[in-house]
Amino acid sequence: MLEVNQISKAFGGIKAVSGCSMSVERGSITGLIGPNGSGKTTLFNMITGFYPPDSGSILLNNQPIQNLLPSQICHRGIGRTFQITRLFWKMTVLENMIVPVRHTGWRTLFSQGVKKHEEERAMGLLDLVGLTQYSDEEALKLSFGQQKLVEFAAILMSDPDLILLDEPAGGVNPVMIEKIMGLVEDLNQQGKTFLVVEHNMRLVMELCQHIIVLDHGQKIAEGKPAAIQNNPIVLEAYLGSTNHAGA
Amino acid sequence: MKRLLSSNGLWIGIALLALLIFPLIQRSQYYQHVMVMTMMAAVLASSWNILGGYAGYTSLGHAAFFGLGGYLVALAHNYFGWHPFVSTWFLGFVVLGVALVLGWISLRTHGSAFVVVTIAMVFIFRLVALNLSNITNGARGLTQPRPGWGGVPWSPEFIKVPFHYIMLILLCITIFASWRIRQSKFGLGLIAIREDEGKAEAVGINTMLYKVLAFGFSAYFMGVAGGIYSYFFTYIDPQFIFDVFTGVTMVLIAILGGRGTLWGPVLGAFIMEPLGNWVIGTFGGTQIHLTIFGGVLLVVMLFMPQGILPTLSDAIRQRKKAGMVKAPSP
Repeated sequence: MLEVNQISKAFGGIKAVSGCSMSVERGSITGLIGPNGSGKTTLFNMITGFYPPDSGSILLNNQPIQNLLPSQICHRGIGRTFQITRLFWKMTVLENMIVPVRHTGWRTLFSQGVKKHEEERAMGLLDLVGLTQYSDEEALKLSFGQQKLVEFAAILMSDPDLILLDEPAGGVNPVMIEKIMGLVEDLNQQGKTFLVVEHNMRLVMELCQHIIVLDHGQKIAEGKPAAIQNNPIVLEAYLGSTNHAGA
Repeated sequence: MKRLLSSNGLWIGIALLALLIFPLIQRSQYYQHVMVMTMMAAVLASSWNILGGYAGYTSLGHAAFFGLGGYLVALAHNYFGWHPFVSTWFLGFVVLGVALVLGWISLRTHGSAFVVVTIAMVFIFRLVALNLSNITNGARGLTQPRPGWGGVPWSPEFIKVPFHYIMLILLCITIFASWRIRQSKFGLGLIAIREDEGKAEAVGINTMLYKVLAFGFSAYFMGVAGGIYSYFFTYIDPQFIFDVFTGVTMVLIAILGGRGTLWGPVLGAFIMEPLGNWVIGTFGGTQIHLTIFGGVLLVVMLFMPQGILPTLSDAIRQRKKAGMVKAPSP
């Protein structure tokens, strides 16, 4: 469903991503791993339109999306979370859920901000993550883990087909990690496709059906979790080359 | 409309009634003048608030649109004989159109760069008005005929009254528009932009479109107010109407009352404008009112950093909450 062809992005002299190609199958949970600075987040930002790639193309359902605005890409059906959770801090949890609701046309733009049926849907999703009782609280009053869940639930309001999760388990306690993994699996069963950046290897290996490994802005390996775990190139990228490891 | 009235209906009713009968019971020209200026300050601060309060983009240059409205109305009056009380509502849309273009350019900047760009806007408008002297009469300014209707000028005792009512109408429309925007999807999007623009874009809000529209709407009411103002004084010149201080004052009033709230800018205007006039009246035309303005703002910022209205409503909510918690305990 998503195809990335030979894309590159440099910041000044630093090549964050260079000539990287990868694809995400519809209905899959694909993992994207690699050491710090390997270009995972830059790749995310290019897919979601935050950085225009220097070269290469990105196709969503065979349509090029590399020159679209982030908002347009969101309307095409890609939702994302951020590595460091981003919410509208001084808005209530419910408002955070309502902002992503997709709407078109001038009449709707000036219609009631929070509609009854939208509120019901938002409460349903908040129920899914167990946060209904906080719907009227300001987002910044929630705990770190709860904020992650709100961000995740809010993405679902725009009903994306492909969901990009940037470190969903970062800084989250084990119970919450289980909860997030359960949610991702359930949603995957319902037909949502996921691309997940994560450093928690247990989560990646358990959750993902397919894994792509980046290093220095290039894809160095891909395959099933078991194969990746034993791939010498991947081990070298993470742990350094064998001579160094021996020293 | 119903929802606006249902929550604050009583207070709005009392305030509106007071403003409706004000010129009938207060015959002093001076107080009538101050009231017109106060309502105008409320219009300016409220319409600035649509962009500066809701979307969080601090423009110090909205005096440009105020002045543009003033010039358009004065020119249309002198050249075509269009009565300002009628023309200002339509010429406001010209101001809106200009603002959409300028917004589209200036809103590519953020934070302090945006502030500087908007200040530059005022100076550019002033320069144009100074140099297009065959149209604008340059530095000598434009004079309009004495206010009246159907060729009959209003008597000196009556002259402030029509301005009182047209400014009241404009104030009501501005507040209604501001409320309507705040309640809408559009307003929700503007607040989201203020909170985190990148995130807003990521969840599907066309942030540029929202910002440019907010810029345009806030300029419309500015332009209409400028039109009425130019007729009120019957004389405008570039120095006087394209004044950065006008732009700064409306911002300070909005911040004082409560930036980003519906009623804060109105409250701020009804505090600062009469106070400023009283100070000028008492201490003469020195610049002391600016000092006092700064002092009041300093005190408010120290003790109520969000502005007067949000601090008060927070305090009331806290007390209500405390009351509710106490109630069940034996």
